[in-house]
Amino acid sequence: MSVYLQCQGLRKVFGASVVLDDISLEVQEGQCLVLLGPSGCGKTTLLNVISGMLAADGGELRCNGRLMDSAAKGVHVPIQERGLAMVFQDLSLWPHMSVAENVGFGLRIRGMKANDRRHRIDTVLEQVEMGGFRDRMPNELSGGQQQRVAIARALAVQPSLLLLDEPLSALDARLREDLKLELAGLLRESGVTAVYVTHDQQEAFALGDQVAVLHGGRLAQLAPPEKLYDSPCSAFVARFIGSSNLLPFRQLDGYALIEDHIAIRVLAADVPMEGHCMVRREAVGVLDKQPFAETSDQVILAGVCEQTHFLGERKEAQLRLPSGERLRGVTAGHIPSGAPVWARFPKNAVRFLAD
Amino acid sequence: MIAALRRGLGRRLPLLLCAALLALATGYPVLLLFLQSIFPDILGGSLAGAFDAYRRIIETPELGAMIGTSLGWAGAVTLVSWVFGIPCGYLLARTNLPGKLWARMSLLIPIMTPPYILALSYVLVMQQGGFGDVLLPIPNGLRAWFFSFWGVTVVMALASFGYVALAVEATLSTLPRRLEDAATVLGASWRARVRHVLLPLTVPAILNSGLLVFLEALSNFGVPAVLGTRSNLPLLPAEIFYLVTSWPLDLALATSLSSLLCLLALMALYGKRCLAQWMAGGHIRPGTAALQPLSRRWIWLGWGWIGGLFLFSSVLPYCAMVLTSLAESWGGDGFPPLTLKHYVALFEPGSRSLWALATSLGLSVAAATLCVVIGGYIAYVSVRSSGPLRHVLDGLATLPRVIPKIVVAVGLILAWNAPWIPLNIYNTVWMLLLAYVVIYITDALNYANSTVRGMSPNLEHAATVLGAGRYTVFTRIVLPGLRPALMAAWLTTFIVCMRELVASVLLLPPGVDVTATYIFNQFEQGDIAAAMAMATVTIVISTIVLVGFQFRRRP
Ligand SMILES: Nc1ncnc2c1ncn2[C@@H]1O[C@H](COP(=O)(O)OP(=O)(O)OP(=O)(O)O)[C@@H](O)[C@H]1O
Ligand SMILES: [Mg+2]
Repeated sequence: MSVYLQCQGLRKVFGASVVLDDISLEVQEGQCLVLLGPSGCGKTTLLNVISGMLAADGGELRCNGRLMDSAAKGVHVPIQERGLAMVFQDLSLWPHMSVAENVGFGLRIRGMKANDRRHRIDTVLEQVEMGGFRDRMPNELSGGQQQRVAIARALAVQPSLLLLDEPLSALDARLREDLKLELAGLLRESGVTAVYVTHDQQEAFALGDQVAVLHGGRLAQLAPPEKLYDSPCSAFVARFIGSSNLLPFRQLDGYALIEDHIAIRVLAADVPMEGHCMVRREAVGVLDKQPFAETSDQVILAGVCEQTHFLGERKEAQLRLPSGERLRGVTAGHIPSGAPVWARFPKNAVRFLAD
Repeated sequence: MIAALRRGLGRRLPLLLCAALLALATGYPVLLLFLQSIFPDILGGSLAGAFDAYRRIIETPELGAMIGTSLGWAGAVTLVSWVFGIPCGYLLARTNLPGKLWARMSLLIPIMTPPYILALSYVLVMQQGGFGDVLLPIPNGLRAWFFSFWGVTVVMALASFGYVALAVEATLSTLPRRLEDAATVLGASWRARVRHVLLPLTVPAILNSGLLVFLEALSNFGVPAVLGTRSNLPLLPAEIFYLVTSWPLDLALATSLSSLLCLLALMALYGKRCLAQWMAGGHIRPGTAALQPLSRRWIWLGWGWIGGLFLFSSVLPYCAMVLTSLAESWGGDGFPPLTLKHYVALFEPGSRSLWALATSLGLSVAAATLCVVIGGYIAYVSVRSSGPLRHVLDGLATLPRVIPKIVVAVGLILAWNAPWIPLNIYNTVWMLLLAYVVIYITDALNYANSTVRGMSPNLEHAATVLGAGRYTVFTRIVLPGLRPALMAAWLTTFIVCMRELVASVLLLPPGVDVTATYIFNQFEQGDIAAAMAMATVTIVISTIVLVGFQFRRRP
């Protein structure tokens, strides 16, 4: 496997604000990179730089070894020559063309003969399960169907690089769920290299071979989904990935102090002087009776139950610590709100992160 | 049962009233015109000689040739307007051309200028011994070209390309840029994008504006009357006018030619519909358009294009008009001495010109007000009701939109001159008022219609629930909502009535003038300076009213 897309120190400035700052990443051929981050963090901008709609102000962009963009060397390959395909957020199908014409457009531009084109259109429409809709007009399709066609339009040209900008965000939640898995299958099957923008963590995990979390125009972390989930590199990433408890801590003489009375022995070099420590919700047990003996490898924190809710496979309780911090964990039965509760988790489930 | 019937009638009453009014005002004259064209003696109560006039049209080769010329000329005007207007629309909507506000203004001026005034001004420019001869060296070849098919075409196109430009701009500027991005990413060049994405999506606007231009050219009277006669270019409206006004009158031929003109207009409308369906389709959710950055050279070219059109559609004719109205005489060489005496004569108390101006003003204010009141009410009734009667109403209301003005005017002559009419309204000024209202009520209807459609019926229900009656609902809820649209409609109607030529020429009683007929007649009789002074005054008044409204609208 070889590196297909390579960004080195990409930088983009709009007026006085730096929107992309020193973005360096690589995408292996046939893999899917997901750009994840909160609104306004620069995902679309990075995608637009990759597509060529924007020129980078600094750094270099290479595709398959070819230099695409470099402000220093004055290189900017026009969009048309990059051999890309793109799926947009707003289902931008051409309203005056039928489904087949929309899908066949890129093939026509590439000069494919009518016969081969028809064949290819059928294949791709089959792939996205829209075989029966060849001759419909876009406004005669539902939102989900339109997006399938948009995806087919992009896949039809067998692009070397596929860019997707929040392709599912215009759809409702159920549809998004279905299409997400389908899209993951499609991407894997067609072996296309893809860059996928989303702000939805579930989507990122379902689709990404690598996930790049952006924060304020900087790359916060680049890792495969599992790694990102298990060991986020900063409190921001952990918070953004979600489903973790974060508690502030500070380090004192080789101990990390949580809630000012729990001390955990740490290796000073590995742990920042202060920050947040992360505990997964599944690692936290919430009990309505104070556990007896404190074993030395467990942390026990007392608090007040705020609410419990049923999540299908388990019950989750949220409690409030005396310091005002909130903590969530798994509980066995229903606990009335306002009742005193205790949270218990193993010390080795705690990760110490810088802010 | 009778009570139920009466209640049903009560509910339907406004609708019936509107339908009856429109049927009398528009339907009856047009119907009579068709009947008279088939049965030349129907006004005398006889059905003899059916289809005589049509037979004559078929048997007279000159008439057939003239109809062909009319169609060809209207088509040529449309094409040239497209050539002029589409680049303007693209430049305004899709590029970063500097000074767009000015460019847009430069398009509005020719739209505001009545075609016959443009034609008269061009006669001044191009005529031997006229303004142009003295101030501009005009080669004879150019003069010969101008007084020919293509010269007349270009003048008409200069008067109409603004519609095309504005329509194309409106469509192009709301095409979401994503639609183009999607093509760019797939490798489409600028050309492929224009061809496959932009053009097909703009086709409806291009066709619509083209149809407008085509119909206007086909039925316009002023330009054919002024330039067609001077260029040996016989065109239908001028011919119809000639048949109705010069002795011996030939009403049978006039009405059958009018009916043919109607038929051609309807066919154009239908043809456009088919074309539009065949060429493009699809609804676009409006978005923001991408602006193409222009290089220096293209900025120059773009402004050259727009500026050149402005020069020929506005600067040159207006200069000719104003200079002529101010010139002592065009006898000698070089620049003539300037004088205000034509204006002084124009405003002399008791003069014909002052009467013409007063008549025009009075008629235009009255017609605009009537159009707005009646049109607003009809639109409201029509939108808020359902059933077959509503379709009849809609059909009647749209008639004047497709039927050429000259045809309506001829129909009105027949209708109110018929032996069974007890009122003697024909040959009075009221006839003209009626004609203005019939011809221009469509504008008011259109404006009001789209606004009423946009108003939720729940606003009215809310008032009805609180106990408000029908009258209260209309005056308290509906009218205030309609006000901006009606103001705009009033303004448009006022301005077009101030310059209305064809109905005035046909329907004015002898000895009475309005501005347009005054200008037209003085010009033809050789008092060019007086004609141009009146033209200038008319345009100044229209502009003042327009600007006045603009200022009042944003306090
Ligand atoms: N053309 C522009 N001019 C100036 N600032 C811009 C421009 N485009 C984007 N920005 C700014 O750059 C930042 C990043 O924008 P971008 O569109 O990349 O965000 P995003 O991550 O895609 O957000 P979202 O999830 O809302 O789509 C934002 O703060 C935005 O305001
Ligand atoms: Mg975005």
